Amino acid sequence: MAEEHEHEHEPLPEGVPPVSRRGILFNLGLGMNVIAASLIGIPIIGYVLSAVFKEKAQQAWIPLGRIDQFPEGQTRLATYTNPFRRPWDGFVADIPCWVRHIENDNFQIFAINCAHLGCPVRWFPQSGLFMCPCHGGVYYEDGSRASGPPPRGLYEYEYRIRNGHLEVRGGETPNLSESV
Amino acid sequence: MKIFASIYQWLDDRLALGRLYDQSIGHRIPASASSWFYVFGSATLACLAIQLVTGTCLALVYVPSPEFAYASIEYLDYTQPFGWLLRGLHFWGSNFMVALVTIHMIQVFLFGAYKYPRELTWVVGSTLFLCVIAMAFTGQGLRFDQDGYWGLEIVMSILGRIPFVGMEATHLVQGSPIISGATLSRFFTIHVFVVPAVIISLLVIHIRLVLLMGISEYPVAGKKIDPETYREDYEKLVERTGERLMPEGGGKDLVFTALILTAIVTCAVVIGPKIPNGPADPSLIHTVPRPDFYFLSLFAVFALMPPYMESFSIVYLLPLSIVILFAVPFISRGQERHWSKRPGAIITVVLVMTSLVILAYEGLTSPWSPHMNAWSGVPIQPQFVQGRTPLEHVGATIVQGKQCRNCHSIDGTGGKRGPDLSGVATRLTYNQLVRQVLQGDGNMPAFGRHLSPYEVTALVSFLHTLHPENEPPSQNSAPEAAPPLSTDPY
Amino acid sequence: MISHRLLLLCMLPMLWCCDGLPGKPDPANRYIRPTEVTNFDTLYSMNCSGCHGAEGKLGPAVPLADPMYLALASPIHIEEITRNGVAGTTMPAFAIEAGGTLTDQQIAIIARGLSTRWGQPQSAEVVAAAPPLAVSQEGPPGDPERGAAHFRTFCGSCHGPEGRGTARAGSIVEPPYLGLVSNQNLRTNTIIGRRDLGMPDWRQVGDRPMRPQEVTDIVAWLASQRVPRPSSSMAN
Repeated sequence: MAEEHEHEHEPLPEGVPPVSRRGILFNLGLGMNVIAASLIGIPIIGYVLSAVFKEKAQQAWIPLGRIDQFPEGQTRLATYTNPFRRPWDGFVADIPCWVRHIENDNFQIFAINCAHLGCPVRWFPQSGLFMCPCHGGVYYEDGSRASGPPPRGLYEYEYRIRNGHLEVRGGETPNLSESV
Repeated sequence: MKIFASIYQWLDDRLALGRLYDQSIGHRIPASASSWFYVFGSATLACLAIQLVTGTCLALVYVPSPEFAYASIEYLDYTQPFGWLLRGLHFWGSNFMVALVTIHMIQVFLFGAYKYPRELTWVVGSTLFLCVIAMAFTGQGLRFDQDGYWGLEIVMSILGRIPFVGMEATHLVQGSPIISGATLSRFFTIHVFVVPAVIISLLVIHIRLVLLMGISEYPVAGKKIDPETYREDYEKLVERTGERLMPEGGGKDLVFTALILTAIVTCAVVIGPKIPNGPADPSLIHTVPRPDFYFLSLFAVFALMPPYMESFSIVYLLPLSIVILFAVPFISRGQERHWSKRPGAIITVVLVMTSLVILAYEGLTSPWSPHMNAWSGVPIQPQFVQGRTPLEHVGATIVQGKQCRNCHSIDGTGGKRGPDLSGVATRLTYNQLVRQVLQGDGNMPAFGRHLSPYEVTALVSFLHTLHPENEPPSQNSAPEAAPPLSTDPY
Repeated sequence: MISHRLLLLCMLPMLWCCDGLPGKPDPANRYIRPTEVTNFDTLYSMNCSGCHGAEGKLGPAVPLADPMYLALASPIHIEEITRNGVAGTTMPAFAIEAGGTLTDQQIAIIARGLSTRWGQPQSAEVVAAAPPLAVSQEGPPGDPERGAAHFRTFCGSCHGPEGRGTARAGSIVEPPYLGLVSNQNLRTNTIIGRRDLGMPDWRQVGDRPMRPQEVTDIVAWLASQRVPRPSSSMAN
């Protein structure tokens, strides 16, 4: 009530922009809140987006087992532990992959995920085919596409052999935007 | 009684209860809006209430960590008193909610209720619809069984198809480069905090818009909407025929809502919750992931679309269809509201719903998927064994052993991906069968590298016996150089 | 306190009611990991019925429900075959170490469950007098020439004197057939027959039961009819 009273007594002269102490205070307050909000907001955005912009090391070499665990000429299921696992990850940190031992030091390691939409492909040694249970993608033993909707062959992991142990470079689920 | 009256007086003086009533459930609606067609919105609201209450209760037990999520679901099912019932209510509540919100949208669409001046009510409602779908999907993920896990994996693969930022989008949603505890926490947060908050806020706006614009009057064929006069006419209509929503106009809503709630309870009690199909252990590859029913049609689309269209459809057509949904009131600007004057609307609804239902059916049966256990678990029927030679018996074991049955049925049992083999000998000659098996064709992989010549001979000898008794197997028009069995074709 | 107890009393029948409701999940339907399935019927129908028949008979492969087969075959032998398969034939290896999907425990359940499920007690005399089912290196080797003669005597009326088949039974000397079955399989079929498909066992093929050496000779003759396996035209 007192404010209105004040205005009544000091009417603004014609043509002068209505800059009052209250107006300045309002704009100042608005500005300060924008700054404060961004001070709060920037770390929040950084927190949420950290999954995207974290340091690029999203893959690491992980041992899969001794070479002689994988008989030559056969394809076997192997599991590696997600190198970036958190303590509460439970068994979702156990990532399966198909290891094809061609001969000697010659391997192929396929991601379990179908190149179509990521479902788990299953290996059938008798017919030498990988089959996907979701939309019917089928691959040959070397991972090339045999039939169905997949736009490409199976994703292959990099591998290396250290002291008779097979190691796989994993840590990221492959998808069509980028192959492992 | 006097005491109650004075308590009410006291409260009304401070809370303006009377005014609140007049402006909300007591507001006046046109008598024609009290219709059995107008009950779906309030029934959806009732479902939301069920979901909020049961969901809050389930969160008392559920643990959003990969290590314990599945175990806590099993605890709810088998140990926690009434846990299974609450899971059942939440599951069936979600099914009914998706169904009712869809019916509500169809009703609004067919009645032209989204037209002037209620365009924004439609836009807000469409956002609510998307939120409900988001709840359905994240809820399925929280079950964290194999369907839930691989459902997440499918969505991540879909995100991965976004050009340039596919991997970043995937990592953002997953919270890590691989589906992990962070992913489950994100879906829990989205399902329990984010989307419910959005739903409640939007619902407030939605209902405020309904109150502001008034419930649309029952459409009359031939009566056109004129933005110049519509509001005035509506006010007059309410003045002339209006009645309060409660208790006069809303009786039908109450009855229908009660029926829906009873149906949800009945389903939960009789059918029960969805039993989780095994823990989300990615190394359990003996799994056949299928989504809950609301996503079956989408699941089917991805199987049936030609591969070259898929990325394009995901990146452009899916968002476009959402844009079209939002734009309905701005595309359909005709002044006619009654469906009998809007054949396009009827055709749209019939087409969209028919496709969705057919696709969902296809998704349920998934004929395109190999039957993963057929080779060892679906027997060759005795009529295809009896009367065969030893070589043909070996051929039959090859049909099984080489996983032919995973894609091919024989007399209706087995995979449905390829044609049924029970009459294959009438369609292909001996030599054509050999070629088909060795080289494959179309969708069939080539088996040449995994079949020895003997195996091919045995296999094709058996396939050659698969014809009806009174219909001979097909033959080359030119006589073959020698009977295929006695000389080795290799 | 009284009201507390009353409340409990009211709750109890409710809990009891709940247990009887059809929607309550039945722990029996709980998900079981594939490696922890121990029910014989499930294991058999998922892994064996494809070739050996839904009821252990009338499939294209050896009828496992034949009581005489079960009486003569040793479960250890069946286990071994199930574990590692039979190389060169269509019997695949089922053990996880061999690239299959079954644990040793599950294989044992299948091998031993066959007798429990389909075995019938056979007279000890018949079993004792039966030719040994397993192919063995001991004893005199089979003589193909005598085998050919025995074949004409015991098998010729159905399979034809040369084994090339008649209207009653198919040929068993096709190179592809002989190339895809093991000697053990030939021996098993000669002794046990396929009674589910009308082929008699060793006791009913002729005027008298076949003698062990005659079985060995017939198998030796059949094996001698094999021609060297052609190499795959496409695998190279």
